[in-house]
Amino acid sequence: MNRALFRLSLACMVMFVLLLLNINYVQAFETSKLAGEPGNVRTFYQQFEFQRGSIVAAGGGQDVTIAESLPDKGSSGMYHRYYPYGAVYAPVTGYASMFGKTGIEGAEDKYLSGTAPGLAVHNLIGLLTGKAKQGAKVFLTISPRAQQAAYRALAAEYSSGTGGHSGAAVAIDPSTGAILAMASYPSFNPNLYATLNGRRLDRIDRRLRHDPSQPLLNRAIEETYPPGSTFKIVTASAAFSTGKVASPDTTFPAPQPLRLPNGNFLNNDAGETCGDGHPPLWFAFAMSCNTAYGGLGIKVGGPTLRSYADRFGFNNPSLTTPLAVAPSVFPHITDPSLTALSSIGQYDDQVTPLQEAMLAATVANGGTLMRPYLVQQVQAPDLSTVSSAHPSVLSRPISARVAGYLTTMMTDVTHNPAGTAYATAGPQATGLDIAGKTGTAETGSSVGLDDAVFTCFAPASNPKIAVGVIIKGGGFGADAAAPIAVQIIKAYLGVR
Amino acid sequence: MTAVPSPPAQPPAAAPARAAGLSRAVPMPRGRRPTELLMLVFAIGVVLFAYASVGLGLNGKVPSSLPEYGLGFAVIVLLAHLAVRRLVPWADPLLLPLAALMNGLGIVMIYRLQEVGRNGNAGSLSVPLSASATFIQLVYTGLGVAAFIAVLLVVREPRLLQRYTYTAGVVGLVLLALPALLPAHISEVAGTGARIQVAFGGFSFQPEELAKLALAVFFAGYLVTKRDVLALAGRRVLGIDLPRARDLGPVLIAWAASLLILIFEDDIGTSALFFGVFVAMLYIATQRTSWLLIGFFLFLGGSYAISLMSSHVGERITCWLHPFVGSNPSNACYQPVQGLEGMGVGGILGTGLGHGQPFWTPLVQNDFIVTAFGEELGLTGLMALILVYGLMVQRGMRAAVSVKDPFSKLLAGGLAFMLALQVFVIVGGVTGLIPLTGITTPFLSQGGSSLISSWMAIALLLRISDAARRPAPQPIQDEGMTQVVRAAGAGEGAG
Repeated sequence: MNRALFRLSLACMVMFVLLLLNINYVQAFETSKLAGEPGNVRTFYQQFEFQRGSIVAAGGGQDVTIAESLPDKGSSGMYHRYYPYGAVYAPVTGYASMFGKTGIEGAEDKYLSGTAPGLAVHNLIGLLTGKAKQGAKVFLTISPRAQQAAYRALAAEYSSGTGGHSGAAVAIDPSTGAILAMASYPSFNPNLYATLNGRRLDRIDRRLRHDPSQPLLNRAIEETYPPGSTFKIVTASAAFSTGKVASPDTTFPAPQPLRLPNGNFLNNDAGETCGDGHPPLWFAFAMSCNTAYGGLGIKVGGPTLRSYADRFGFNNPSLTTPLAVAPSVFPHITDPSLTALSSIGQYDDQVTPLQEAMLAATVANGGTLMRPYLVQQVQAPDLSTVSSAHPSVLSRPISARVAGYLTTMMTDVTHNPAGTAYATAGPQATGLDIAGKTGTAETGSSVGLDDAVFTCFAPASNPKIAVGVIIKGGGFGADAAAPIAVQIIKAYLGVR
Repeated sequence: MTAVPSPPAQPPAAAPARAAGLSRAVPMPRGRRPTELLMLVFAIGVVLFAYASVGLGLNGKVPSSLPEYGLGFAVIVLLAHLAVRRLVPWADPLLLPLAALMNGLGIVMIYRLQEVGRNGNAGSLSVPLSASATFIQLVYTGLGVAAFIAVLLVVREPRLLQRYTYTAGVVGLVLLALPALLPAHISEVAGTGARIQVAFGGFSFQPEELAKLALAVFFAGYLVTKRDVLALAGRRVLGIDLPRARDLGPVLIAWAASLLILIFEDDIGTSALFFGVFVAMLYIATQRTSWLLIGFFLFLGGSYAISLMSSHVGERITCWLHPFVGSNPSNACYQPVQGLEGMGVGGILGTGLGHGQPFWTPLVQNDFIVTAFGEELGLTGLMALILVYGLMVQRGMRAAVSVKDPFSKLLAGGLAFMLALQVFVIVGGVTGLIPLTGITTPFLSQGGSSLISSWMAIALLLRISDAARRPAPQPIQDEGMTQVVRAAGAGEGAG
């Protein structure tokens, strides 16, 4: 019987080896998969049991903590999230709630929660030395001054006049792509989401979700608007780059109205004539004459316009900052009449406020578009750098020469008394050297005013900041959007 | 096997007592009791350390109950050691310390789970443990060790049990069938649908735990007498000698009985355990691989047929194959998923005792207690626990191999395999290796029945190991004694 016993012992050994192999698989190789299973209640509560990393707005030489974890008074050993500035930074930080995370809280969660592979060694050392686990700190490119100014200006616009004009503003450092401000109004107070009471959280979330003013919407990157005349930057770029026109001084027919090939008429904004009806392009740009640029668009052609729009960042569904950016749209068109409408930013053209800032940033940076980014640096709790941003080129839409042409033309918009933004963004009014382009976009709806759009950079001679502003239903770009851009620039450059 | 005649039974204490005077002259082989004591003290130390560690992990303080419970546990297992010294002095030195270690760690985990939601600690259990759960488990440990000593006292010679083969068989079957015969409110474990207990007045008892031992005795006694017939070869198919059709009777009866357990008590784990142990013992007795194959396919076929009929079994298989699919994690597979996620949190080193969240797993103190260990002691700790079980099985098998009496050999092999299979079925079940079947974790799970029967099984193994290792009375001994008597009586010169 001993032979059978021996074999049975071997069978037992095999059973135990199988048990050991299986638990090795579960506990050594499958842990992250198990931790990531939706509804893993342990992972869920673990996140509140240690100090999540802070988020710091560190652009423009200032360090301001905009999200941090504090010990919860209600439940011992738990932490809750605190946003000292409430709604101001909400479009950037998003929120970290029990049930989900948005914004930077979501995009950089692996660092903030300390689970990123780059933090593994640090965590292990912490474990061995008995130090409490802590998340990494995320430093953003956001400039507190610019962000505060953007938020305040948008809030003031919302409550001024007829009121209720929501909007967003984005500021970029043109030479790096660092996002200096990203504000949206109406916004929400992310502290509401920091509660550790599930039922309360559910109620708050439902209320904000159904709020008609859409406070949870980050209009700066999640919403698109018609660009209006600001798209003439792209049309002019395409025309200069393809040699259809030689320079800003080249004259171009600007009839009032322009009869389109399909028999419809294209008018200038208020039906006014544009100079002598045959103005130089810079003048038509400064006056924002639709007929000149409609005609120019037809001359360049829909597919070529689209290829230039793409280079400026349009039609890119995979752009992230690392927050996902809604793609700005320039449609596929060959029909010349529709091309004329599209080349002045109407028809199916759609842009995010970020895209507006990218237009100005490209011109400001000599024709090179830098990839916009929000995260400057990630710092482990021991202050060592886990990752830091490397500015990179997203595309080179236009040459330095063409960028120079556009700088002159955009400077004329604000500096020439005939320019559309002379009164609101010109040197006399602001004391600043801004180059910009206004847009007043017809939304196709008979209710309310047009969307006000403004894209600009400053100082025009040595650009430090590029800004895009869109106010929904704000009316004239120069009146509603440009003053907000001016506020942001003033705050960022430290000019009173 | 039978070619080697077993030595005649010797009154255990007689020879050493008579030889006491000459122990210096003729060195006797020695028992390993000092080794056992040392290992036992080590096991007690590990348990006390773990107990203190739970308190430190939970609220930074050594539990105030440590001195009394620690002392109680130490006294209980040291009593077991004294009994071993007295009753089975030649027995294996490792089995008792290993059993004590597992039992102690079980108490530690039950203390840890008892503290869930108490004294400001986090969590709440789906079925909260009473505030005296640790004390009760300690009492069960005392009862287990009492049963252990009783077995050692009553069963003085393992093969004497063979006389009670059929009595054991009847007792085993009655115990097994009892819950199925009793009304559901007495026999059903609340919420599980499994009818495996006898409950009255707040106490419950799982008769199958004792039935295991009785049936192991029955199988050993039955097979030892029938093994020559069962080993006869019938037809040869694919290089395997099949048994004769008329000899299939016993295995078919055991199969049918295990299926009946499955159907009437909805307890696939016990069913698998009984049938597996029977087939394994049949194999030890006959050395015929064909019995293993027949047994294996009968079990698979039976389980498959049942799985088609019973939604309960089908659900278990779904949770084994697709625990995380669809709504499984929050519904049907909630318990196994919680167990696995707990182990995942534990990772390689574990959260540390008192730092994990084992309370999320429903009924974690019973079938899923190893996942709690996996969570708080990590892969490292869980591997150590499984290796301790492996060592216990190995020591049991060793006793089986070295004992000469065929009945004892079968019984020890069967008991060791039963432990191995039980660990495989429950640990494999909760860690997702095989479909989950409810069965207790030997020595660790909360509850008295399992603990008592586990201690009794260890007692039987120790008794058999003692019989195997007891030195054979030496023929020269009598001669030597005569010489000594002669020398003592008349002196060298007179001889």
